[in-house]
Amino acid sequence: MKDFQLAWRNIWRNKRRTLITAASIFFAVFFALVMRSFQLGTYDSMYQNVIESYTGYIQIQHQDYIEEPILDNCFVADPEMIKKVESDPNVADVVPRLESYALAASGSRTQGVMVLGVDPEKEEKLSGMKERLVKFKLTDTAIGSLKLSDIPDRTKRLLDLFRNEAYSSTGRMMLDLGISTEDSADVLPVLRRYASFTNEYLSGSVPEGVLIGSGLSAFLKINVGDTLVLMGQGYHATSAAGNFIVAGIIKLPTPDIDKRIVYMPLETARDLYAAHGLATSAVLSMRDINDKAINATANRLRSLVSLPLAVRTWQEINALLLNQMEADNRSGMIMIGILYLVIAFGVFGTVLMMMAERRREFGMLVSIGMQKRKLAKVVTIEMLLMGLLGVISGIIASLPLVIYGHVRPLRFTGEFARMYEDYGMEPIMPTLLPDTYYLWQTVVVMIIISIAIIFSIRKIFRINVINSLKA
Amino acid sequence: MISKKSILLMQGFFMLLIWLPAGAQQLSATEIVKKTDDKFKGEQSGYSVMTMTIVRPSWQRSVEFKSWSKDNDYALTLITAPAREKGQTFLKRKTEMWSWNPAINRLVKLPPSMMSQGWMGSDYTNDDILRESSVVDDYTHSIEGSETVDGRDCWKIKLLAKDDADVLWGYQVWWIDKKEFITLKAELYDEDGYLVRTEKASELKIMDGRNIPTLIELVPAENEGYKTILRIIEIKFNIKVEESFFSQQNMKTIR
Repeated sequence: MKDFQLAWRNIWRNKRRTLITAASIFFAVFFALVMRSFQLGTYDSMYQNVIESYTGYIQIQHQDYIEEPILDNCFVADPEMIKKVESDPNVADVVPRLESYALAASGSRTQGVMVLGVDPEKEEKLSGMKERLVKFKLTDTAIGSLKLSDIPDRTKRLLDLFRNEAYSSTGRMMLDLGISTEDSADVLPVLRRYASFTNEYLSGSVPEGVLIGSGLSAFLKINVGDTLVLMGQGYHATSAAGNFIVAGIIKLPTPDIDKRIVYMPLETARDLYAAHGLATSAVLSMRDINDKAINATANRLRSLVSLPLAVRTWQEINALLLNQMEADNRSGMIMIGILYLVIAFGVFGTVLMMMAERRREFGMLVSIGMQKRKLAKVVTIEMLLMGLLGVISGIIASLPLVIYGHVRPLRFTGEFARMYEDYGMEPIMPTLLPDTYYLWQTVVVMIIISIAIIFSIRKIFRINVINSLKA
Repeated sequence: MISKKSILLMQGFFMLLIWLPAGAQQLSATEIVKKTDDKFKGEQSGYSVMTMTIVRPSWQRSVEFKSWSKDNDYALTLITAPAREKGQTFLKRKTEMWSWNPAINRLVKLPPSMMSQGWMGSDYTNDDILRESSVVDDYTHSIEGSETVDGRDCWKIKLLAKDDADVLWGYQVWWIDKKEFITLKAELYDEDGYLVRTEKASELKIMDGRNIPTLIELVPAENEGYKTILRIIEIKFNIKVEESFFSQQNMKTIR
């Protein structure tokens, strides 16, 4: 207890020195946490996007489908099996899909597309498709009228940059067009008047009505009400071809998918591909989406479904994305490693300075009879206290930023956003809320501090009283 | 001393001894291939009805079609069964291929990217149908021996692609029936010498006055359990058909 008291007094004896040392640790913790949070948050949002808009957390597939995702590796969507799966406490709903590829054509333009046959009602519940329907579109005529209307000049200038852009929510549009929250009450009615876009969702009563991605609509130059021709190969190499009508246009967050997706009612897709009663996957809608709960559910289901069916979690389905993120993560780790190196030298520098400053003091203490062991103990406690001070303040300081960044993610606009979208990413950079990574960053910083402690202890044991008193 | 002249004479004599019987009894490899090729596609025009069965490890299905052709350059094929595929037509004009599908009312020219895809899901690629290389001019031929295929005596002939020839294969090995000049079996190898596919012809029958194989099997080497079987139901040679018959207009109306 005496040691602690001594250490406590020691660190506040020279406040400036203590603050400098603590500050170097504070910045280390703060930057490492914020950087990591942005990095992990970006991955997390990409996973969320792809899971929520597309793959779901767990799917039931034919066992060969994951290796060879072709229509021939599909399964019979047997109601009894579905009932069995639905009986799991964590499964809210089972949503069958039929997925394949086709060549989409309109006029002389063609594009290879993904065709997704879905159950309109169930899919809406699962992935909130209706929310993705385009509500505003900045067509040439809309821009023309908007420029003549009474809206801020800044917005008018931005209109050209976002020509032909489609929006499924007002939020994104307001950001792109630089409309502030105060102005929105005045500007939004004008936008609604000129740039509103009418759309319809899939319906069982109009089997030939399909939804297409806004990117695909732009590429093929087709709009609601136009005919879309699909050609491809059906189940067991039958020919699949048909004319469809664009009922609605959706905007998906992942531009890569947005450019090549066609949604149609499940039965329509089954007709097109000669795959009656079949499905390529059944997406499970979950009650609890915690990682642990998902894995537990997957394990329960594995014993429930029999071959040739297989249960796949989102990690298995998105193996490619996970690998890409892992590679990106590696480069992020290197950056963090460099950051730590800089930090470590910073901390060593201040410790070295402190030891040099207190050389005389230590020499004196030893000469009047203080045991070197006791001295080392006091210094260790001092440094731990400073380290703790730095780490805790770093964590506390990072929290508001991380939480704010999660609630209101950094959203890129303009050219930079375009660049992001060209890479197939949503142009936002959210943070990840505190998680185990907080612990790890703290541990690493504590390791750096302990190295510094070992260094100073060695120094203390090597004190030569005469020399240090001369200094 | 034997004069130089007499050596030459003797050499010539021995040469004659060696070559005379060969020339009298046997055709050269090139001649055999040419005769076989002429017999196979030497006709001016033809009409045929066939069924094609696509065999896969877990399933199989059949397609029925009628086909008209002229001079190897023009062909029109109409799918007649199953009901789902009925009415689709394919037109070949020289090196271009078009397809028409009544379900979408659309005429599509096959893009280069689709050339290596199977026709109607079979193991025959569109390239097989379109590409016209000459087995006589684009290959050098050598007799590798005699073997029997299905109990019939055959020449085994190796066709090695010439360096400048625009062909898909590195070399082919043909088994040609010695009496009928019909290829009963062929193995096709790529440039690296790997077997790509084996084709077999059997069930020789007299059709429209000619002895022809009515069952052709194509077995790709890489995919186990894959096979495409072509059965000729009816065939007519030298029918009256004009070049104008092979038109895009006719693709939509022919039944």
